[in-house]
Amino acid sequence: MSEKPAYNKPLPDLRPEDATFWEALKEHRFILPCDDAGKPFWYPRKYAPGTLSHTSWTDASGNGTVYTYSTHFIGPSKAYKGDPPHIVALVDLDEGPRMMTILVKDEDGYPSLDPEDVTIGMKVRIVFDDVTDEITMPKFTPAA
Amino acid sequence: MAEGTPDVKEARRMLAKGICIAGVGETEQGIISDRGSFELLAEVTRTTLDDAGLQLSDVDGIVTAFSFVESTLMHSTTLADYMGMKPGYFASVAVGGATAPLMAVQAALAIDAGLAECVLCVRGDNTRSGISSSGMIAMAREMSHGAYEAPFGLTTIGGYGLLAQRYMYEHNVPQDALAAVVATQSEHAALKWNAMLRDAVTVEDVLNDRWIATPFHAMDCSLVSDGAAAFIVTTEARAKNMKKKPVYITGIGEGFSHQYISEAESVASVRDGLGRAGRRAMEVAGITPQDLDVAEIYDSFSFTPLIALEGFGICGVGEAGDWVMEGNAKLGGKLPMNTHGGLIRQAHLGAMHHIVEAVLQLRGEADDSAKTEFNGGNHQVPDAKLAITNGSGGILAATSALVLSSEPPSAA
Repeated sequence: MSEKPAYNKPLPDLRPEDATFWEALKEHRFILPCDDAGKPFWYPRKYAPGTLSHTSWTDASGNGTVYTYSTHFIGPSKAYKGDPPHIVALVDLDEGPRMMTILVKDEDGYPSLDPEDVTIGMKVRIVFDDVTDEITMPKFTPAA
Repeated sequence: MAEGTPDVKEARRMLAKGICIAGVGETEQGIISDRGSFELLAEVTRTTLDDAGLQLSDVDGIVTAFSFVESTLMHSTTLADYMGMKPGYFASVAVGGATAPLMAVQAALAIDAGLAECVLCVRGDNTRSGISSSGMIAMAREMSHGAYEAPFGLTTIGGYGLLAQRYMYEHNVPQDALAAVVATQSEHAALKWNAMLRDAVTVEDVLNDRWIATPFHAMDCSLVSDGAAAFIVTTEARAKNMKKKPVYITGIGEGFSHQYISEAESVASVRDGLGRAGRRAMEVAGITPQDLDVAEIYDSFSFTPLIALEGFGICGVGEAGDWVMEGNAKLGGKLPMNTHGGLIRQAHLGAMHHIVEAVLQLRGEADDSAKTEFNGGNHQVPDAKLAITNGSGGILAATSALVLSSEPPSAA
């Protein structure tokens, strides 16, 4: 395992309605927001899209399938300069919703998965990367 | 003309007033570090008024967009003030790449409502030279969700890449199809007097270019440029006394499928969402894709026109790549596309240049051979009468399309 560098990448914008989600991640629990019919949706919001019913939360498996990905050779800011390519992916969660993530090699969320090791349709599972004391990022790694 | 639903009939009622584009203009494009944002807008307004044979005082409405450099929440009135206008109608439109056709729609609505008769639609910026690094980061982050996308290192290029890779996977579209779009448009840009990139490139050149985000090489991506373009929307009655033959807006349509790329349901839903804009515009115009002579299709990336061609029904689902590789999009092909080079070879000003080029095509003025100082060439589609053009904002999120015609809608 390579040594993990200090985190210099963008952190999520935090809005009050997102607190429940990020607090769960900090405890390494992955939860999904649901509408009043119990159907999970993405991305987290105080009111469910389409019906504006109050959001409730459900535990999720953290298992999913790669819907698509794009290997980024250039990142969105200087913080990515000199890094190997990173793979941004959309993952279809077993519970239904699709979310964006980054594909990584190791259990601790670092380093990036090698581009030749990713395919559309591959099974992945969540890993929790404690990037700061406050923020844990939900990243994904090959399931097998 | 087919019957049409009540809303389609209502759109036809409005356009039957002879809503038309009576003047167009564009500045040089590229790196223009000696001119500011408002200066470029005023410069292109002069060119456009000259084209129509108008004075600034003839204009009673103004529709602008936004600037990445000059921060104002009142862009249209700030420009009106700069140019010394007191317009009776003003609006600033900000829907990313969909802005230009929406500016035309906004002008048409204002004319229909009696708010104005002669509306200047103008967009330009010194995006390339004038933007600050914080402005650049803000622009890059603009299309990402701040909590659930941006922290994963998504770029706008990669956001399109996510959709493009899924599209290529579902329909077995080779990398060569994307490169063929670039090669085709590079041949057209070589003829356009103000295109930034004037060299014709081959499919091989594109495939050997450096990667930015899969499936895009650098040449698959649109340019960042300084420059401005404008068009004047008015009625047939007013245009009669102007210098140039009017080009009629005979179809309008809009479509939306998602804001963030994570929220896009499927390749099919994106195709349908953006496709609605073009299908609807053609329905209002009472035409089919077979009637079109030229297509100026939004091309933020080489992939972008492929899914639009399919969504508009110009090509079958999954067939646009083959269609371009067969040469149909070239000048001299079945439906010449992006005859000005588009965003990936000419310049990036949203869909402004797509509209200007469509108007020039329908006026028979797309031969730049006389512009010897710019080494211009002939990119005119012979006898072009009907064009479709569109713009998409976000990552194929929101799309607006126009059908433009050399003939008024009653005769279409």
